[in-house]
Amino acid sequence: MGRLSDRAAFEQYAAQAEQRWETLWSGDRWVISVGISECSIAKGALETYRHLELLLSDGHIPAVLRRVGCAGWCFAEPFVEIKLPGQPPIVYGWVTTDRVPDLLDALRRGELRPEWALGVRAGESWQGIPALRDHPFLRSQRRLLLEQAGIIDPESIDDYIATGGYRAFLKALFEMTPEEVVNEVKTSNLRGRGGAGFPTGIKWESGRRTPAWPKYVVVNSHEGEPNVFKDRRLLETNPHLVLEGLLIGCYALETPHGYNYIGGEHALALRRFQKAVEQAYELGLLGDNILGSGFSCHVRVRTGGGAYICGEGSALMYAIMGQRGQPRTKPPRSVEEGLWKRPTVLNNTETFASIPAIIRNGGSWYAALGTKESTGTKLVTMQGPVRYLGVAEIELGMPMRQLIFEVFGGLRDGYRFKGVQTGGVSAGPLREEELDVPVDFDALTPLGAMLGSGGFVVFDDTVCAVDFARYLVAFSRYESCGKCTPCRLGTPALVEILDRIRHGFGRPEDLDVIQYASKHIIDLSLCGLGQVAPMPLLGMLERFREEFIEHITERRCRAGVCPMTAAAPIAS
Amino acid sequence: MEPTKSGQRVDLEPLRRVLEERFRPRDYREAQELVVGACQEAQRLFGWVPPEAAQLIAEHLGVTTNRIYGLLTFYADFRTEPPGRHFLWICHGAACYVAGAGRLVEFLQERYGITGQGTTPDGALTVHVFNGCLGVCDLAPFAQLDHHEYVGRLNLERLQALIAELQGEAQTEAADGSTE
Repeated sequence: MGRLSDRAAFEQYAAQAEQRWETLWSGDRWVISVGISECSIAKGALETYRHLELLLSDGHIPAVLRRVGCAGWCFAEPFVEIKLPGQPPIVYGWVTTDRVPDLLDALRRGELRPEWALGVRAGESWQGIPALRDHPFLRSQRRLLLEQAGIIDPESIDDYIATGGYRAFLKALFEMTPEEVVNEVKTSNLRGRGGAGFPTGIKWESGRRTPAWPKYVVVNSHEGEPNVFKDRRLLETNPHLVLEGLLIGCYALETPHGYNYIGGEHALALRRFQKAVEQAYELGLLGDNILGSGFSCHVRVRTGGGAYICGEGSALMYAIMGQRGQPRTKPPRSVEEGLWKRPTVLNNTETFASIPAIIRNGGSWYAALGTKESTGTKLVTMQGPVRYLGVAEIELGMPMRQLIFEVFGGLRDGYRFKGVQTGGVSAGPLREEELDVPVDFDALTPLGAMLGSGGFVVFDDTVCAVDFARYLVAFSRYESCGKCTPCRLGTPALVEILDRIRHGFGRPEDLDVIQYASKHIIDLSLCGLGQVAPMPLLGMLERFREEFIEHITERRCRAGVCPMTAAAPIAS
Repeated sequence: MEPTKSGQRVDLEPLRRVLEERFRPRDYREAQELVVGACQEAQRLFGWVPPEAAQLIAEHLGVTTNRIYGLLTFYADFRTEPPGRHFLWICHGAACYVAGAGRLVEFLQERYGITGQGTTPDGALTVHVFNGCLGVCDLAPFAQLDHHEYVGRLNLERLQALIAELQGEAQTEAADGSTE
């Protein structure tokens, strides 16, 4: 396979890939796909894969064994999708290695084992197995980014091309000017998926306007928050989608310099994205003079070493430049002076992944999804004791209640809902009675909550609000980069006060000190992360004030979590 | 390769080979961009970044050793001291916290005096409380052993049993070593 020289060569290549894809699914062999991602490996997906390989090696079953990415349903992993000739593909959940021989035997006998099936990939139920899309977890989702998740092999560029991949890039490259691309993104009203929600099109436009050279386009795949894992799942399951978005971004900025900065601990995401880049180079979709268009693009992958602060734009750029990842004062903004002091457009992984669909279907099509001000779909993760743990993709504007109790299945038996922490470590929680608020960029803000990067944590009454607040602030304390004093000294002070309260030595005036100290951190910190560090504490204090007061006046922790060593004099 | 003990001679040859093969900057900017990656390679090879390796990386990429140590001490993942025989990442993400990881972290502090990162006194195990999310929330509280083995649904008993097992293993290995 050599580099493709022009568009016609690509079309021909794509037609062949589509042909192979068609043959695979309509052939007379079984197609067995195992979902392999970081979370399913932890649950034994590799063992399941090897076991299948072993059992199929005797050739009794004519089968193709494939590897696919994560499909979002972490709760059902390891999952295996099996398509018998002439039947629709059936997705089986919880296929640990001990179930493999059973399942294969049953299928050979013609038994479908509906009790293990998650659903069938078909329009409606089939042979007593419900349609996958009617599964409660999937029913209310709207999947654009995850459309091919769990269907294509993330390590195969052919699979991606066969299912329509890189057409948006070609459309941009051959049929649109860079200005038109930016306009389309502006029309879509796509807002940054990393947390701040800044309109992507406007950022790209200001990047274009700044008259310095060279320019850089950077994907932020750092994802260091303690409760978000959507970007790495996206990179693990469809790395080419992100790469295609990045390519379109580079074309819009007319620059050959693309970067992806991936957190060092996301080993599999890193490996798969690197592989995607290599494959794109081999095929000529990256490199000089792409498909004879005259446009060149080179993508470099850089990794971090475990520092939450590197998710902040300017810190991330310093990190790429091989310096300590610490933020700097703004202005100048990074679209004016970013990487190597040159205009740099930095967007979240998910933002870039949304671009191909916008180019393919048009900005106004995308703008019709979601709400007026928060268009499109959003990946969300829900953690805590919910029934369907995983990554979901919803249209923005879905009520929080529906998200928790329908998509994620509500709480598991024996757990009582107490609250949901929003916006990672950057905002406050919501209580039960506030759950009717729509999940979008603006509606959550007046409540002191935030969409952020879409990481939510449901907690039950075994979690103490004071202790949880301490956990969230302690995270910020640990991750404070130490550059500016309000954050470096303020967050330890907050943790100290909370520890005092947890141990039963709290004083009524502590609650005022918290407010007062928080105000300083919020007003005076250098970067966005410092400015929001006290938010979870303030949110907890507002929503669960009675618990804080209980700790202080009654020296009682209703969840039974806090150490409450009190009684002894403070001096000891 | 076994992690080297402090003070022992470090064989830099494998690192030198990797640097020459894959870390070939075309200009000074790229050289600086490659520093973190080179340190990660060193840590992958040695289990930590020994001073000799830092020196070699600095010379190879044309930056100062100071610069290297600035990064090594900034990023949580790097170690400037040799780790124990085993390495355990305890996830301290929010899902694990809600499921009770806080208790595990407290236990490590009380029993071994490990806050954040540290090694048990017998050198059997280095524990790193991972401040972030390892992304396997369904198995919370969750830990990853030696970067490839997964331990889920931890509680205090299971963690204690795991540590005891690793310590026992380390003792046997040490005894085997002395009879050779």
